[in-house]
Amino acid sequence: MRRKTALASQAVFLCALLATGCQNKGGGDTVRIGVITSLTGSLAAFGEAHKNGYAIARDEINAKGGLLGKKVELDIYDDQSKPDQAVQGVSKLVDQDHVTIILGSYSSENTKAILPAVTQRQIPLIMPTATADNVMESKSPWVFRICAGANDYARTTIAFLKDAGAPKTMAIIYENTNFGQSNMKSMTAAAKQAGIDLVAVESYEAKSPDYKAVLQRVKKANPEVIYFCSYLLDATTLMRQAREMDLNPKYYTSAGTGFAAAEFPTEKGAGKNAEYTFSVSQWLAEAKWAGSKEFDAEYFKRFNSHPAYHAMEAYSALRVAAQAISDAKSAESDKIRDAIKNLNMDMTPFGPIRFDAIGQNQHPVLITQVQGGKYRVVYPAEAADSKAIIPAPRWSQR
Amino acid sequence: MIAFLQACANGLLTGALYALIGMGLALIFGVQRIVNFAHGAFLMVGMYATFLLFDKLNINPYYGFMAAGVLLFTFGYLLYWVLIKPVQNKSPFMQILMTTGIALILTDGAQLIFGADYHQTNIELINRTLRYGPFSLNAASLLSFGIAGVLIVALTMFVRRNLTGQALRAIAQNPEVAPLMGINVLRIQGLSFALGTGLAGLAGGLLLPALYLFPGVGEDYTTKAFVIVVLGGMGSIEGAALGGLLLGVAESLTSLYVGNQWALVVDFALFLLVLSFKPSGIFGRQRA
Repeated sequence: MRRKTALASQAVFLCALLATGCQNKGGGDTVRIGVITSLTGSLAAFGEAHKNGYAIARDEINAKGGLLGKKVELDIYDDQSKPDQAVQGVSKLVDQDHVTIILGSYSSENTKAILPAVTQRQIPLIMPTATADNVMESKSPWVFRICAGANDYARTTIAFLKDAGAPKTMAIIYENTNFGQSNMKSMTAAAKQAGIDLVAVESYEAKSPDYKAVLQRVKKANPEVIYFCSYLLDATTLMRQAREMDLNPKYYTSAGTGFAAAEFPTEKGAGKNAEYTFSVSQWLAEAKWAGSKEFDAEYFKRFNSHPAYHAMEAYSALRVAAQAISDAKSAESDKIRDAIKNLNMDMTPFGPIRFDAIGQNQHPVLITQVQGGKYRVVYPAEAADSKAIIPAPRWSQR
Repeated sequence: MIAFLQACANGLLTGALYALIGMGLALIFGVQRIVNFAHGAFLMVGMYATFLLFDKLNINPYYGFMAAGVLLFTFGYLLYWVLIKPVQNKSPFMQILMTTGIALILTDGAQLIFGADYHQTNIELINRTLRYGPFSLNAASLLSFGIAGVLIVALTMFVRRNLTGQALRAIAQNPEVAPLMGINVLRIQGLSFALGTGLAGLAGGLLLPALYLFPGVGEDYTTKAFVIVVLGGMGSIEGAALGGLLLGVAESLTSLYVGNQWALVVDFALFLLVLSFKPSGIFGRQRA
């Protein structure tokens, strides 16, 4: 009998502990902001960039006194680069941790996967890096996108090509998930409109890295331009195998991402094979927006590498969230959502940020080329700091 | 024509490693009739072992793969006595449960210990290309091919000439009569299971430079291994080698002429065709 009582009391005590634990999570002396990104798995390099960008923004905000008189705290969920895990993340962050806004995820695939979950829970979602345009097609009033999308990528690349020799034939090589498919579709439409002949459109499975047959097919079609839609590991392998297959288009172009990752032109990525590749880009340290250089310097000081636009977009997403919470003077989801809609940030290191009726931030796209192991801006003319090198030298002459 | 030959060459380079994987499973599934769904997981463990040696001790994967082979051989031998023997003569369903369980534990264990990150070994050899006129071959793949070739020949000789190897084949042909001929069936079966896992370890090490490494990397290879064994004819170790080469070339040609996303479809198309029309396998002499 006595033992039973002891057990019962222990159980009650435990419940009490749990209850107070929950309360702490709900209110407390911090503003918790939910983040979903890919810290592990095939996209870990980008998740790392996200995490670093978020950390810089968080510290900046906290140094200025935080939000609503409280410190900002990030609640980061690792989706392991898998869409089903990203959906789990929404449920963990919202149902368990009671966050009122979410930033993420990294990839278009994972971001698309969480749209229904955030909409259903009525939680505002700020998407830093999902370029597939179908993430904006849900018509959910809860989603906002910082970055430019696949259509902007294709349009800018085509405009650049017209300006730089007006090639007539193109091949598209894309990874077979949402990001690659969406960018392939955008480019197919843009190329047709511009009268460029698509001589090959090839998909590949990113996880099995034997792309030689794909490259062989493209080589047979002999395009002047190749447009890659790839993540980092596949971009690295594609360029290595392009060299192996002696594939020599005049222009290696790409939908950013792997081809624009900070690691890509270094020895950790494709190294020398990255030279002369063009990529769309959303931001560089040299961008004319106030604070760009400072962000680059701070990033380098902390992480000993230079950031690419993925880190900047994460940083901007948190800045937007913070601005919205401080405008709303509240951390309630619907108030934050309304504040994001009316937000007007003129001076950010990522340029002006404001969202249109469907939640899209209008952001300009640059074209870069890897020259001497660095990304150089070559288009548009007013932003360019280098001249494009065309054609890419044949592999045998490098 | 050049494209065709180039694709065949690339297919053979991949195929030699498929052959090793297939021969490993042939020893386990073909010879002993243990339905082994953990073969890809063994391969993955071999890859991680080779990768760790490379990453921590800077040992080139082309030395490291041998250590992976020895490790997996030992692991396989222990595993046989502890977990496989009890289900050996039970229904295939029990074996599937057991080996799938082992595969899950290994894959999730790897995820727990090493995380879900993708790794690549950027060794110098993988960036080197050998050119012969219009043809090109990757130096690392060629080396893997050479080593796999030596291993395949050695294993074939062992099974044909060596007394233990012959005992192994005898068990494959008739497990009831073999012990009457004085063969210690249990010992030989433990050995052949260990040889099979050891081959998976060796193949994993040799595959490492050309692949990305992550905990789930083996999953596709389990199914591929079954396809190879069936192509080559159940119970035939040499058949599995040929089956592996054939599968490599078939995948490469499919990628070239039909498209990369169809390469995996071809695996199963071949599998179904062989099972439907020639269940003894393309190269099989004996009935399955």
